[in-house]
This record gives sequence, C-alpha cells and structure tokens, in this order.
Amino acid sequence: MIRFENVGLRYGLGPEVLRDVDFHLVRGSFHFLTGPSGAGKTSLLRLLLMSLRPSRGLIHLFGQNCADLPSPERADLRRRIGIVFQDFRLLDHLTTWENVALPLRVFGKSEASYSEDVTDLLKWVGLGDRMTAYPEVLSGGEKQRAAIARAVIGKPELLLADEPTGNVDPNMANRLLRLFIELNRLGTSVIIATHDFQLMDQCDAPRMVLNEGNLEVR
Amino acid sequence: MKEILKFDNIKAYWAETVTASPWVAVIRSLVRREARAMSAPIVQPASVAGRALTVVIAIMCFLACLTAGAVYIVNQSANDWFADIASEVTVQVIPVEAAEFEKKVTLVSLFLAKQAGIVKVSPLSAEESGELLKPWLGNSDALSALPVPRLIAVEIDRASPPDMSVVRRALESNFRDVTLDDHRRWQSELRTVTRSMALGGFAVLILVGAATVASIVSATKSAMASNREIIEVLHFVGARERFIAHEFEKHFLNIGVRAGLVGALGASVMFLLLPVVMRVLSGGGLAAAEFRQLVGSAVLDWQGYLLFGAVVVVVASLCMLTSRYGVYRILKSHD
Repeated sequence: MIRFENVGLRYGLGPEVLRDVDFHLVRGSFHFLTGPSGAGKTSLLRLLLMSLRPSRGLIHLFGQNCADLPSPERADLRRRIGIVFQDFRLLDHLTTWENVALPLRVFGKSEASYSEDVTDLLKWVGLGDRMTAYPEVLSGGEKQRAAIARAVIGKPELLLADEPTGNVDPNMANRLLRLFIELNRLGTSVIIATHDFQLMDQCDAPRMVLNEGNLEVR
Repeated sequence: MKEILKFDNIKAYWAETVTASPWVAVIRSLVRREARAMSAPIVQPASVAGRALTVVIAIMCFLACLTAGAVYIVNQSANDWFADIASEVTVQVIPVEAAEFEKKVTLVSLFLAKQAGIVKVSPLSAEESGELLKPWLGNSDALSALPVPRLIAVEIDRASPPDMSVVRRALESNFRDVTLDDHRRWQSELRTVTRSMALGGFAVLILVGAATVASIVSATKSAMASNREIIEVLHFVGARERFIAHEFEKHFLNIGVRAGLVGALGASVMFLLLPVVMRVLSGGGLAAAEFRQLVGSAVLDWQGYLLFGAVVVVVASLCMLTSRYGVYRILKSHD
C-alpha cells in the first residue's frame, strides 16, 4: 500500500533530514514511528500526507507514484488518509461536531447523509455530551479525541497520528491506543509517531525507528 | 462553447459553472436566509481582520463613489454648458439712428429667421437688454439715457448648422452697424476649461481608484493571513484547491458586496442631499441662479447611480480575486 524507495529530504539548501528511506507497508498493518526529537518523524508523516515533496527517491501511495500526480488527484489520495496532528488543529469557530464533520463536508456530502455517523462516532470516542462545545473549552484529552474522530470519520485506509498521546495522561493514552487498535482491526492501516516507550510496550507492533535521518524497521 | 462541450449537457454545465459561482452564492445569501447551510461556514464569518476589512472597504467604496459621482456631475455640467453655448449665436444691433432702431431690429430678426439652419430668433426688448447690464451698472436712471445695443439670440439647428461666415457676410452686406458673434473664442476657451475639468476629474478618480485597490488588496491579504490555519486544515483533510478557493471567494465576495453596498449607499445619500445643501448654501434669487449656472444643478442622474453599482462590483471582485490568489499562494507552500 505504501512504498518508499531511496527517499531523501532536505529543506532548501540545508542538510538531508531523511536519507535513503526504504520501506514497504501492507494494507491493514500497524506501525509505530519513533526516534529522538528532530529525527524526522513529522517530516516523514508530511511526506506520507503529500504535504512535502521528496528531494530524491520515489513514493508510491495506494499504488500510485505521488511525484506525477496533479493537484486534484493528490487531494483525492489525501481523502484516503486520516491525520491526527500533534497540536490537534481543530478550527476554533466550529463546534466539536462541525470539526469532526469537516472532512465529509469537504468531500461534498450532504449534512443529512452524515449527521448520524458523526454523532455516533462522537459518542464512541466519549464526546457525546461535548458535541456543541467549541475547541477552546475542551480539555487536552477531549481535543485529542475530537481530532482522532475527525481523522477517522471519512473511513480512511491509512491513519497517521503525530504524537497522539503527547498531551494526555497515561490513562487517556491507553484509551486512545485501544481506539487505534480497534480502528486497525476494522481494516485501517495505522502509523503512530511517538517517543512514548511506555505506550509502544503495550502493543506488539513493528517499530520504524528514525535516527539521524536513517530509518530502520524493527 | 468548448467549456460547455466538456459537460454532458447544458444542465450539468449550468450546475458546475453558473450556480457554483461565488456571485450566485452571495446573492442567494443576501436574498434567502434559508439558503445558508445548517453548519457554521467553513471560513470564520466574523473575525477581527474581517471586521477591519469591512470598514476599509466601506470607507474606500464611499470615497470612490463620491469621486466617481463628482467627476460624473462635473463632466455632465461641462458638456451641457458647452452644448448650450455651441447651439446659440448672438447678433448685436448698434443704436446709431434712434428713430429707425426698433424697425431695424425687426428687419434683422426677419432676415435671420429666413436663413437656412436657424431654428429660432429671439430679439431681446430694450428692458431685457437693460437687465443684462444691471449687475454692472445697478438700478440707475442713466441706463435709459445710454445707447444700449440690442441683442438678438439666434438658436441654430444642431443637426444642420448654417455656414456662419455666409450668414455674417449676408448680414453685413444688408445692414450697417450689425455684428454677429458666434462665440467661437468663448467656445474655444470653454472647451479648454471643460477638457481640463474632465481630465482633472479623471486624474483624481484614478488616484482614488489606485488608493482603493491598494487598501483593499492589503486589507484582504491581512485577513487571509489570519485564515492560514483553516486553509491548511482543509488541505490536509483532502479538500481540492478549487473547493478551498471557492469557500474563500464566497466569504470575501460577501464582505466586499456588503461593505461596498454600505459605502455606495452612503455616497448615494450624500448626492441625494447635495442639491438641498447647495440651495441652502447659495441662498435664493440671482446668486443661486448664477451658482447653479456655474456648477450645474448637482443632481446625479440614474446613470450616475449605476456608476456606484459598478464601483461595488469592482471592489467586491477585487476582494474575491485577492483571496483566491492568497489561497493558491498558501497551498503552493504545501504541495
């Protein structure tokens, strides 16, 4: 489903932050992406989301070479990917319900067609009573769950999560991990970028370790 | 036509291009409240930057409409003024032989009325000629003692005007002490004045237009910068560039139309009140008449108000296009 071949990335004229990255992920896999701060985890996630272009090498997503794709096709591929940002990126002027429904609205679906799904999902992530609340009044954990709900509402084939447990207590982190495992069981491939070893130890999943721009799968 | 052929039928073309236009969305939102979505708009409707932009647009639109209206009125007045003076000539009869004077005025009038290309001949009476001198001589008995020349106003056919040199020669060969003034020198000077006024007006209009464009583009860019996060989130959740651009175009067009209408409405009120203000300021009687003669009636006709509509359309389009450019610029940094 995802194939990286000799991918390198540098910002401007700076040094390479990713070097000769090679890996192949199959459909329905579950991976942790780890490494020290500044190792290039977020850059790798941005390459997966096609928000950056590699300086060299080839990236194949869902069987397509991303380098050749025009902008509308890249947007269509992005619809098959759900992303959970480290800083949540919820829109402050929209309610929790509207934030979660945003991808479906963007896909051009009518509100009536997805209204029930959004409500059910929010109840499933434990935000049933916070649907009309705005992000500024949500706690860190609630924002995180809203961001996860937004990432999965479009039933993505691939879920990327950047430090999804960075702002929550260990108990909430375990709950969120169980949520990701449950999504994976339903068929979604999951990549969680984290340097929380306690979290990784709770799940027997392969680890993609980035160190000084080099990737090793353990 | 090629555009239409891309679609299966005209209905698909209409749905994809015409009804999807931001102008249609904004007009719908202005006339039908129920046309709005149940969810909040994707682009934040009321932000600090958005409110500042609204104020800037309203003020600049007001100033642009005031300038456009003023230039339009000056231009119209100058044209009317010039048309009036160009369609009239004056014949002056010098009172040399007092006994035959009235008869001579009548003969000259009849002679002029027979000439081709002359529509109307209006000889001024002795009292009317005296009235013309009153502003300079006042109500004096000396006026009746003076040999005041008699004027004959001649209105010429604008469609087929007579050859004035032929009329002048015919007058001079048939009557003594009669002169024809076709206002050529006055017309030439007036033409220079009206052209200068029109050019000056257009120069001011261009300056105000440039200031309006610069202010609106700058304010829209600032408002767009505060929306960067929304654009990025939409991009990451899979929105196409066209969708994001359309959302922002709709939002900024809405701001542009509403604020522009406020500015244009303010300017319209000013122009509706202007004739009343001018009447009050100039007082009554002769002074008011002279003032009106000089600057016109200061009444803006429907074409002038149509000009305000054009200003609103230009201003709103400018907002829309700047936001579109802003969206593509931000998206380019992510693709």
